[in-house]
Amino acid sequence: MISSQNAMNNSAIDLANDLAIDLTDVHKTYGRKIRALQGVTLQVRAGEIFGLLGPNGAGKSTLVKIMMTIVRPDTAKGTVLNRGVGDPVALARIGYLPEHHRFPTYLTGRQVVEFSGAMSKVDRPTRKKRASELLDRVGMGGWKDRPLSSYSKGMRQRVGLAAALVNDPQLVVLDEPTDGVDPVGRREIRDLLIGIRDEGRTVLLNSHLLSEIENVCSRVAILVQGRLVAQGTIDELTSSSRRYEIVVEGSAPPWCSESASVRMIPAGQMLSAGIQGESCRLVFLGLDALGAQPVLDRLRSEQRTVIAAQTVRESLEDLFMRAVTDPTTGLIYRPGAST
Amino acid sequence: MMQTLAIFVGAYRELSARKIFWLALAISLLVVGLFACLGINETGISFLGWTFESPMFSTNTTSPETFYKLLFVNLGVDWWLGVLSTLLALVTTCGIIPDLVAPGSIDLLLAKPITRTRLFLTKYCTGLLFAALQVFVFSTASFFVIGLRGGAWEWALFAAVPIVTFFYSLLFSMCAFIGVLTRSSVASLILTLLAWTIIFTINISESIVNSGRIANQMEATKIESELAKTEDPVDEDKREELTSDLEKTLANRPTWDRAHFWFFGVKTFLPKTTDTLKLLDRWLLDGASMPSRNEESERGPQQAFGPKRVKRGEFQRAVKADEQSHSIWWVLGTSLVFEGIVLGLATVIFVRRDY
Repeated sequence: MISSQNAMNNSAIDLANDLAIDLTDVHKTYGRKIRALQGVTLQVRAGEIFGLLGPNGAGKSTLVKIMMTIVRPDTAKGTVLNRGVGDPVALARIGYLPEHHRFPTYLTGRQVVEFSGAMSKVDRPTRKKRASELLDRVGMGGWKDRPLSSYSKGMRQRVGLAAALVNDPQLVVLDEPTDGVDPVGRREIRDLLIGIRDEGRTVLLNSHLLSEIENVCSRVAILVQGRLVAQGTIDELTSSSRRYEIVVEGSAPPWCSESASVRMIPAGQMLSAGIQGESCRLVFLGLDALGAQPVLDRLRSEQRTVIAAQTVRESLEDLFMRAVTDPTTGLIYRPGAST
Repeated sequence: MMQTLAIFVGAYRELSARKIFWLALAISLLVVGLFACLGINETGISFLGWTFESPMFSTNTTSPETFYKLLFVNLGVDWWLGVLSTLLALVTTCGIIPDLVAPGSIDLLLAKPITRTRLFLTKYCTGLLFAALQVFVFSTASFFVIGLRGGAWEWALFAAVPIVTFFYSLLFSMCAFIGVLTRSSVASLILTLLAWTIIFTINISESIVNSGRIANQMEATKIESELAKTEDPVDEDKREELTSDLEKTLANRPTWDRAHFWFFGVKTFLPKTTDTLKLLDRWLLDGASMPSRNEESERGPQQAFGPKRVKRGEFQRAVKADEQSHSIWWVLGTSLVFEGIVLGLATVIFVRRDY
């Protein structure tokens, strides 16, 4: 295991504004018609795991590729690791694992990691030492001297992760890192990401797996048709949808439909009262547990049995679906960049 | 430097992982082995104990040292390294640039702190590694064969390494350009071979037209000389014949000159693949004890465009002198300009593209 002290060595770039990525007004048009990014602004704080979400063709990969100098932007203001986009000093401190990466299959796992280190200007003794440590860390210690041609897709993904970490990066950019990895491997990679964050590194995670993002990311951004439609912590993004739900036995109380009764709720608004079999679910928008006490008191005074009472918020999937749905038509946006 | 070294080590691993690399090396050694089996004695050429009598090649006319040098240049370099080995090298390396720009592969490299120009040019140079290794192994083996069998330790043989590698770089620059443009190994190989064929055809055409032009000049000079000697009135018929021949010869001159002007003009802008390999002739065979391949006989039938009244050997020497009147710097310089332009265009495309 690489220690935290070792992780952040002397050559670390000082992040004056505490932002690992601070991009504004990123535009990219392919050809003359396909507008992949339209003024995207993205801030990723140092030391967090940040999730980049969006449907196919939303511009996620283009944004990542612009940061990694693989795609040239029309305009891109701001910094990555406190340096201009594409600055070689910053690139030397970034670990990157692209989606559908293609490492040469005649190389061994160790050679792949060492080659990645050499290209990031890591000196020979250090990269040899780190290659061994990292391959052990991603569970490939027993396979490090075998050629990639004998690896499964998941094993190549693990080697790719080790290669992305060999330069002791401050920022790790991962594009679909669990693609092709089995459930056990996914759990291990998730733990690895948390470990990387705990070492003080920043992780930008581009993934289609919402549960994966929800489990590890402290903040997320959602891109739709080249525009950033949401950015923040999952709590912040779902706070507007926070509600309190009470499930009681029997039918809905008659006062539910009385406006006066609704007004008695100190802070909140009844959203709905629905029958579910032999019970009834009362949903209050913007109400917390304290505010719900008068309602619970009244239900008890009416001898109603309260089965459940809890604060509920939108899942990330709900949030995502809301973001990719056109509010005027109620239809999901067409996949792909806007033209 | 660390990155350049890593790319070269990676390229060596890539080459050594390909069977064709080892196959080409094995054939190289086999070719040299065949050279070693050939010998020269008083009556002719020997091969594994058998002797094939030859009035042209024997120790009476050719020293063993020159014999092996001739084998090395005319068969080893011109045919094996210049054609067959080059074909194998192109087949092996045509995928280097398309593989570099392939999705999933290029991302890994561009995300590293290395400029695109440097990355592309370094990768291009790794393609030359194959050719350089092949020629080096071949030259080293030939060095020992000529040393042990011919009795001469000829260090100049190693001039083949830079010369043949440069020759290969002319072709590989086109391969790299097509590779970056089409991203296809097959297209790179086929179009490079096509370009090579066109260049070869133009070179040969220019050579033929130039021979015709020189023959025309020599013929005219010879006739004028014979006319000057034939002043006796008894030879009036001969004078008429000579005058008629001279008029015909002079009438053809503008056609030869014009044809040569155009072929030479086109050739000037193209890489001098054939002339580059011929540079070895200059260094290895000139000054050897035996006349080189173009001067082996003063007799024999005249070539297609050869002058009728001039000895074959004299004509061949004149053609060779004309070929060698182009300086090494003209051969290498104009080729380098072509390579620079092609490689520059390929680099611009590589640098400006989104992946």
